[in-house]
Amino acid sequence: MNEALCDLSALEIARRVKSGENSAVQVLESTLDRIRNVEGNSPSTASYTFDPADLEKIHAYITVTKDRARVQAEQVDRAIEEGQDPGPLAGVPLAVKDIFCVRDTPSTAGSRILENFISPYSATPVERLEAAGAVTVGKVNLDEFTFGSSNESSAFLPPVGNPWNAAHVPGGSSGGSAAAVAAGEAVISIGTDTAGSIRQPAAFCGVVGMKPTYGRVSRYGLIAFASSLDCPGPIARNTTDVALALQVMAGSDPHDATAAEVPVPDYVSLLEGGVEGLRIGLSPDYFKLKFPDPETGEIREQSIDPDAQRAVQHAAEIFARAGAEIVEDVPMPNTHYGIPVYFVISRVEAASNLHRYDGVKYGYRYDGEVEDLRQLYRITRARGFGPQVKLRILMGMYVSAEQYEKGYYDKALRVRTLIRRDFLEAFDPQGRYKLDCLLTATTPTSAFEIGSVYGDSVLMQYADLLTVSANHAGNPGLSVPAGLDEKGLPIGIQFLGPDFSEGTLLRIGRTYEMRTEHEPWRAVKPKVLQGLG
Amino acid sequence: MPEFESVIGLETHIQLNTQTKIFCGCKADSWEDLPNTNICPVCTGLPGVLPTLNNAVVTKAVLLALAVQVDSVQPKSYFARKNYFYPDLPKGYQISQYDEPLALGGFIDLPLPDGSVRRVTIEKLHLEEDAGKTVRQVGERWIDFNRCGVPLLEMVTGPDLRTADEAAQYLIRLRQLLRWLGISDADMERGQLRCDANVSIRPVGSDDLNTKTEIKNVNSIENVRSAIEAEIKRQIREVQSGGRIEAWTLDWDEDKSTLHKMRSKESEADYRYFREPDLLPVLIDQDWLEQMRDALPELPLERKERFIETYALPEYDSEILTEERTLSEYFERTVQAFIGDPKVVSNWMMNDLLRLIRERGTTAGKLIIQPEHLAELIAMVEAKTITASTGKELLDKVEHSGLTPEAIVKAEGLGQVSDEGKLRSLAVEIIETNPDQVATYTGGKTTILGWFVGQMMKETRGKANAQLVQKIFRELLEKS
Repeated sequence: MNEALCDLSALEIARRVKSGENSAVQVLESTLDRIRNVEGNSPSTASYTFDPADLEKIHAYITVTKDRARVQAEQVDRAIEEGQDPGPLAGVPLAVKDIFCVRDTPSTAGSRILENFISPYSATPVERLEAAGAVTVGKVNLDEFTFGSSNESSAFLPPVGNPWNAAHVPGGSSGGSAAAVAAGEAVISIGTDTAGSIRQPAAFCGVVGMKPTYGRVSRYGLIAFASSLDCPGPIARNTTDVALALQVMAGSDPHDATAAEVPVPDYVSLLEGGVEGLRIGLSPDYFKLKFPDPETGEIREQSIDPDAQRAVQHAAEIFARAGAEIVEDVPMPNTHYGIPVYFVISRVEAASNLHRYDGVKYGYRYDGEVEDLRQLYRITRARGFGPQVKLRILMGMYVSAEQYEKGYYDKALRVRTLIRRDFLEAFDPQGRYKLDCLLTATTPTSAFEIGSVYGDSVLMQYADLLTVSANHAGNPGLSVPAGLDEKGLPIGIQFLGPDFSEGTLLRIGRTYEMRTEHEPWRAVKPKVLQGLG
Repeated sequence: MPEFESVIGLETHIQLNTQTKIFCGCKADSWEDLPNTNICPVCTGLPGVLPTLNNAVVTKAVLLALAVQVDSVQPKSYFARKNYFYPDLPKGYQISQYDEPLALGGFIDLPLPDGSVRRVTIEKLHLEEDAGKTVRQVGERWIDFNRCGVPLLEMVTGPDLRTADEAAQYLIRLRQLLRWLGISDADMERGQLRCDANVSIRPVGSDDLNTKTEIKNVNSIENVRSAIEAEIKRQIREVQSGGRIEAWTLDWDEDKSTLHKMRSKESEADYRYFREPDLLPVLIDQDWLEQMRDALPELPLERKERFIETYALPEYDSEILTEERTLSEYFERTVQAFIGDPKVVSNWMMNDLLRLIRERGTTAGKLIIQPEHLAELIAMVEAKTITASTGKELLDKVEHSGLTPEAIVKAEGLGQVSDEGKLRSLAVEIIETNPDQVATYTGGKTTILGWFVGQMMKETRGKANAQLVQKIFRELLEKS
């Protein structure tokens, strides 16, 4: 199969566009072609009737911003004609998770309540990507307000299909991002990770996803879910492209007080440094899941999928051969509190963040007769929000009520500190383990079938068990593809490092990529692309 | 029936006069601006926006904290979210400090008319953002977001005030202090200083704190006094008739001068406070704090005492001259330039300069006439180079023209006429043309001398040296 322009790496596309070998418009056309080929029915908020054909297609884009993209692509081409440098992402097609505001585009958060909201401003990281020459192809689907791990909770249906088997979920909440990148509907995407929402779908769709350190990338313009956990980050098909995109997105921002003033290293130039001398840890707490039984509340234990275990062991061997030191039995004893703590913190913050959607200023407003203001709020929010959002608001309101606040939210914050302490001890250069990174599976299982888990919000949340700790602790995590399981679905492995160690994690990921370059699974294409010319 | 005393605590909201709002770059002061003209994605709560703290707000708040001698400006304080739904609250929560405020403790001393001092304790100072404004039209609500994000400093007193007058006095002193420090224009009519009053009563001699009511939305010092007075009377009536005070929130109706019950405390919302995750803690550097403390100006009451001691001013004068900071500075500079009795300067300022300031609707610091001019002018009057009435007119002329008093006196020939020869020949003329009045004088009614002096003043447009003129007329008339 001939590689289409949209299947090239961002690095290669930028090189070709800058050298004049291909134009940005050509790259855009190739991408729009791909979208036509693999998208199928466009997601919409119209009442959805299941169509079996939907299980063959991707449905990643809520909005394709064709005209806006063409203007951008032409600007890039014009800049090159005039001898200017349009930036390191010249002409690279970008899919923006529809949780980011992008000027003059519908910015829906996957929700009916923002269906008609056109943003008057752009999110800082999107603005930076566009300023670096990236061409925004459109806004991609997600779980409503990012509340989910499968993309099925979006108000825009059909749900996104996994390019490796569209009857399976792409993961979430950045499922549209991961699926679009995997299917060549974009070359890079910007997603958000609140409990694993970049890494889990990246693992499910066989692409690379980075959750940077909290504060590494500005949150300005990211429609907030859980403000103290949300991290914008890049998704691409290889670590180099992730490094390129992160390079552009990262850095302090006068619009975000929580964006760090830490200088941004040159991630791309650090990539080829290898892993010689690095200490890479394995933790038993990431091979066995502990979780409370939904019926009895007893703590149960379950091993992660054998395929995922094997992938982690295999990676450890590769790193050992490449000169890294593998440190086993690193205790991460508070890992299993990750999900319960997340339930409390994320929902308290979410309930508050969702207060502003009241039908008064923008977005959906119930336009029938109402008795009073309260009724306007109630009906607007009842009709505007989907069930997952309502669940989160209810729980958030409940646990932050005056009489419960100390018992839940304050306690959750204290446990969060314990989770961070696990990482600090593992990474402490004077400590017992002195790790440069922890190597784990990204997810306990590969992508599940559409409809198989949705509805059980507790079970669904456990898809994030291995990823959520880094959101609590604030440290970075990188997920890279690590083979296919027996069902032919991608498996992801994850590197978790200390604060601001993105450069090291990318270097480790790049080493893994190079060392597995010739493994047979690398040649397998996602099913949705098989047979495309 | 026991006698009752009232127990009053005030919660004031002070609008800090920063250029921009507390969490975005919009202009903070929207007085007389069209609705929704000073707004942006941040202060209107669009999806995805984040607040960033305006440091000028912290600086101004810390100034007040130091001026009221707080026990501590917290090295680390936090913002929280106060969650509630209202159309003019665009985010659905107000960002406000809550459990860890900027500063704790402190006091303001109120001199009372009987010469004693009431120490009003300050419980805390905290920062918050203002909400928008809802204008109700028939069947409609119009919302103006201009005020969203205007920086407010909330200052809460202990239950230390005992009368409505004291409450009014407190507000007058607070307003003076805020303007003195230059941190708020503190105009209650413009909402720059807002006050809620907590009122309860108890039998005289008791230390109990009984159930209190809260009076909201009072927008002038006079109304605060009236509202508290009305509420104290109501509570006494209630208790005397065997009733019980309930923890109501009351609303002052300015037009009818009556209180309305807004709600019972029990039905108050749970605001579900939690730490604002979008903002970092407010960190106060101790070195910076010390610099601020050193830079704190002398405060009004200190300056008043010093004026009494240093310049031997009566308390009344000193009080007026220290009402406003630039006025007090004006006084000191004038005294320095004048090199004479400070009381003379005080008289000129209290009578004539304040009149000028009021007529022009300005402050001493913004006058065109400088303290050095005033000193020069007073010196000319004292040296009898000009008359007192010329001096008063000169004040206006200097303010109007910007020229020095001396230049104007020279240019307009306003100097006092003390040339005896010239005055004598004028007097001779007046006597020759007014034989009837001369006859009256020689007939023994010498009080008509004043009439002659008046004629001379007319001739010289008031510039004649009055004592000299009297002496000349007396001599001439005795001879005739």
